[in-house]
Amino acid sequence: MSLLSFCQWLQETDVSVAIREGALLYPIIGGIHLLAIALFGGMVLASDVRMLGLGMRRESITDLIGQLRVWKWIGGVVVVVTGLLLAWCEPIKLYHSRSFWIKMTLLALVGVHALIFHRSVYGSTAAPDPMRAKLAGFLSLLLWAGIVFSGRLIAFDS
Amino acid sequence: MTILQIMQWLEASPAASAMNGPEWAFPVVESLHFIGFAFLIGTIAIVDLRLLGLGMRRQPAAQLEADLRPWTWAGLAIMLTTGPLMFSADATRYYVNPSFRIKITCLVIAILYNFTLHRMAARSEKPGVAGILAACVSLLLWSSVLGAGRMIAFV
Repeated sequence: MSLLSFCQWLQETDVSVAIREGALLYPIIGGIHLLAIALFGGMVLASDVRMLGLGMRRESITDLIGQLRVWKWIGGVVVVVTGLLLAWCEPIKLYHSRSFWIKMTLLALVGVHALIFHRSVYGSTAAPDPMRAKLAGFLSLLLWAGIVFSGRLIAFDS
Repeated sequence: MTILQIMQWLEASPAASAMNGPEWAFPVVESLHFIGFAFLIGTIAIVDLRLLGLGMRRQPAAQLEADLRPWTWAGLAIMLTTGPLMFSADATRYYVNPSFRIKITCLVIAILYNFTLHRMAARSEKPGVAGILAACVSLLLWSSVLGAGRMIAFV
């Protein structure tokens, strides 16, 4: 089965039809997606700002990241689940959307970013090397900004 | 000058023609608006989680509020720039949109609340129950702003 025929099958499923045709379901899921972006995005920004040394300097990097971890995960899970539901209702459109694929690539790069910096910055129990933390924070900001832009552009793709 | 005339003047402004110009203008400004609310609401939410005792418990709420304040302000500045830009693009239609009106009402209340009662609660030495109440109202207000904002495109 090709990816496109999978998308065609997905688009015909009951859930897909329900989200697409229910008047309120789509905006409600979209609203929760936004709320979770505010929560998750805020946590990411606070961590990045701290790693860049631009704010929250009274808290150590390790302490701040450790304390925000639970909420980052909660926000992240809600963003992903609502995002999947939103994608479920229009898979064929997304299959043809350049912005969607850019967004997915950037999300994959977030995974790579985590792999690269987990041991030395995010999961480190000792204070991380400041330059390395700055690099991690800067790249994280760049990636997430790119994800917001490409995500928003999906709705405008012709 | 009537409100309708103000809206028409806005729609004819250079800001509106820039927003209605290249097709990437609106989504780009809208994306900045999203990043702005992540700053604004995200940083407020961190203080609220602290007031609720659900996170960041090693710092007092007052310290978090003070340390995050510049970023809350930065978020607000981004919102108050990108928001009116988007509004200008289609002012007469937004003005009569019920979701838009609800959003702006909630927004005004949320901003006033944030810099008065919410700030007092966050800065008090022992926020306690008042802090919990302040955090709940804050989260509710900002969620309403976001929710009503999302609905603008659907009514």
